[in-house]
Amino acid sequence: MFSPFPEKLWDRKMAAHLLDRAGFGGTPAEVDALVGMGPERAVNSFINADDDSDLFPRPELLMPEQRLVYKQREKAAATEDERREVRKELGKAEAATMLELRLWWLNRMRYTAAPLQEKATLFWHGHFATSNQKVNDSYLMWQQNDTLRRYALGKFPDMLKAMSRDPAMIRWLDLGDSRKDHPNENFAREVMELFSLGEGHYTEKDIQESARAFTGYRINYEKGQFHFKEKDFDSGTKTFFEKTGPWTGDDIIDAIVSQPQCARFIGKKLWVFFVAENPSEETLSGIAELLLSNGYDIGATLSTIFKSAAFYSPKAVHHQIKSPIQWIMQTTKMLEIPLPDARVLENSLASLGQVIFAPPNVKGWDGGRAWISASNLLYRYNLAAYLLSGKARILGGGNTKTAMIPLKTIAPTSVRGSSDQLLDELSFRVFNYPLPPKDRATYLTFLEKHSTPYADDTVRDLMQLMMSTPDYQLT
Amino acid sequence: MKSPKEQTLHTRRDFLRTSVLGGALAYTVPLFLEKTFLCLDTMAAATSGQITTGKDGTILVVLQLAGGNDGINTLVPYGDDAYYKARPKIAIPKADILRISDYAGLHPKLTGIHDLYAQGCLGMVQGVGYPNPNRSHFRSTEIWQTGSDADKNESQGWLGRYFDNCCQGSDPSSVGVAISGQTPQAFASPTPKGVAFSNPEQFRYMSEAASDPASADMFMRQMNQPTDAGHNSLSENSGGSIGMLSGPADDDGSTVEFLQRTALGAQMSSDKILAITRKTKSSVNYPQSQLGNSLNLVGRLIAGGLPTRVYYVSQGGFDTHANQLPSHERLMSDLSAATTSFVQDLKAQGNFNRVLMISFSEFGRRVSENASGGTDHGAAAPLFVMGGGVKPGLYGNYPSLTDLHDGDLKFGTDFRSVYATALEKWLGAPSEMVLGKKYPLLPFI
Repeated sequence: MFSPFPEKLWDRKMAAHLLDRAGFGGTPAEVDALVGMGPERAVNSFINADDDSDLFPRPELLMPEQRLVYKQREKAAATEDERREVRKELGKAEAATMLELRLWWLNRMRYTAAPLQEKATLFWHGHFATSNQKVNDSYLMWQQNDTLRRYALGKFPDMLKAMSRDPAMIRWLDLGDSRKDHPNENFAREVMELFSLGEGHYTEKDIQESARAFTGYRINYEKGQFHFKEKDFDSGTKTFFEKTGPWTGDDIIDAIVSQPQCARFIGKKLWVFFVAENPSEETLSGIAELLLSNGYDIGATLSTIFKSAAFYSPKAVHHQIKSPIQWIMQTTKMLEIPLPDARVLENSLASLGQVIFAPPNVKGWDGGRAWISASNLLYRYNLAAYLLSGKARILGGGNTKTAMIPLKTIAPTSVRGSSDQLLDELSFRVFNYPLPPKDRATYLTFLEKHSTPYADDTVRDLMQLMMSTPDYQLT
Repeated sequence: MKSPKEQTLHTRRDFLRTSVLGGALAYTVPLFLEKTFLCLDTMAAATSGQITTGKDGTILVVLQLAGGNDGINTLVPYGDDAYYKARPKIAIPKADILRISDYAGLHPKLTGIHDLYAQGCLGMVQGVGYPNPNRSHFRSTEIWQTGSDADKNESQGWLGRYFDNCCQGSDPSSVGVAISGQTPQAFASPTPKGVAFSNPEQFRYMSEAASDPASADMFMRQMNQPTDAGHNSLSENSGGSIGMLSGPADDDGSTVEFLQRTALGAQMSSDKILAITRKTKSSVNYPQSQLGNSLNLVGRLIAGGLPTRVYYVSQGGFDTHANQLPSHERLMSDLSAATTSFVQDLKAQGNFNRVLMISFSEFGRRVSENASGGTDHGAAAPLFVMGGGVKPGLYGNYPSLTDLHDGDLKFGTDFRSVYATALEKWLGAPSEMVLGKKYPLLPFI
């Protein structure tokens, strides 16, 4: 099923595809480095990249002990008005640290030397889709992000168990109230419906029984950590997937992942995120088999996929709609500029529909075509125009400044004397993909109106045009 | 005499040639697009049972009061001693109430709304909510926007499903317009439809970023034209039907085609909306507020003949936990004034009879006031329905102030009955397809 991609076909287009999908894109120089490695080593450079967590120290967060001080002040306050004041202050501190956290992760995606780890963490964030809108705690959100990163390329059953003990998840799906005499079914339902099996592969009875196994899962707020409250746990026998025993939450997860459907469900989501929409039945069974034979090891599974011919098929390459985050990462990497300033970045991702730590609902982001509407397509075009021109009013004013595009690097003097050379240089950088003949003809017509050697303005205008197209939305 | 079908095709072709692709470019309209529009019109007609005829179709305006409006101090149960007992600090004195019945009346700042009631074009549906109410802003808003049950998760919006079922293929601005920086979840659908913008001047391609804006604009249009290549793949893959247009991607060409269609739709919408807003001015004054500006914009779009049938506007600030009397008073005053201006505007245009406006808030507030002179998150609440086709009056019963559910009013009317009524009786759409179930219709229309 996953026959290896032939080395002799390995070229810039294929290497760029790997760089875009296993990471967040890059410059032509980075693509060429991968070309030189050959497919096997190139893929390994993503899978085995050194963890560079030390370069991204944890951002300033509202720590559990600081939160406790607020709570104590609230308790000690004499009047309701004072209490409200304290809560307001807490809310402000919370909002400020959440902003820090979002910027921290976005910058990590932008600059990490282990991009697959971040890409996979983003995948799992969409999968477990926990929103701070309900959790309301930057420390817990950071902790979940850290856990997702730790298991992102590890074994899925371990991650699922870690998520069942994750304080943000416990709050998100109301597990913290679940006790022996009153089990809450929310987590038990979602762990199967959204995280492992999909609708229709379990019974209501399975939900009721497994909910009993997840009782007693608590958050220790003083430490911001998981805590198991034995007293609230239902240690009685449960019948789950037709087996009876005194099952714990971990037993339930083991039973879930032993269902072949789990490998199909996770396999399909991985395939759609990293490769292409609508995998065939054959692909689906192939990837499920692959996951099972690797003991659900995500890194090993992705390694085989990234080395396979299927990953480089014409149906996959340049056929995925960039998520807003992918768009902003690929764009700033390709233009060799930092992320835009916080206000623009926040507004843009909100307008484009992908605010990290705030997925729209428990199902996460739909992805694919759901990323694109008439309004946000125009917004994408204008965001490109803003990044290229640095004109603040393009996005509605303000005093924001963008970095200068290094036009001398992007279009060196050596290519400015010929329209063909300039187009080749720019189109590879911008699209990572050959231009359709009709588009090439249009760009040439555009260049005919300008004289050689092409000026910076011409280069910038041409890039704006290239980025204001349906084609630029694809990766 | 041309058949209506031919006329539609002719109009669409003219429209595409003249306004979208631009006078400067003498490109022919790709054949597949012409066919597409013809099919789509026919299909939309077949699905919804009526053709959206641009300037004379009915229009729904959804008004979100974000933050949880205090329904009890909006439609006040002044005839009930329990009201004054539960709210010693923030109850509104009997003498100030704008009376509707011996039991209920409006907040004193809702004078304009009260006049609309007196003029016979305002209804109030009492005790609207849903089973197992959720008191989180986030979650309850989601429930209202998607029309889902409280214990289910639904990611598509109720208006998104209406668009999908009944408005396939129209250009996005003809489907739905939200005056908002972000598309409301109510519009969410697998392939997003409708447009969202807070300022029409920002809803356009900013060609002035380029050193040669005129050339940037011209070439952008050229690059965003669907190619005739689309013709082949479209008819091959969809077997001549247009199901592909909004269905999920299942072939290679369709993602690009989808993007091309969206790009074209974005230009058409932007061109239309700018053309209208730049030439249309309101004949009435609106209050200088977010809601005033939004309704002003909706008024101008309707006046300018945008064929859109669904508009979405919102007013924020209803989360009145503390010292709520002055802040709620300002909100009521703004709501009343903006609505009054909107009605005057629509009447002056001769469009009042086409419009139904429905307000909603994610929840009402607790019956009892809190210690800070405010109210905390509650459950059921009344909502307003307003328009030329509305039968005035109170619908449903005012929920009891003493027989409560966790300190909150019990709902008597499911909010989806309000949606179903608007869909069936106003937009002429099959509500069951949109809401997944039959809900009893209300007699306010």
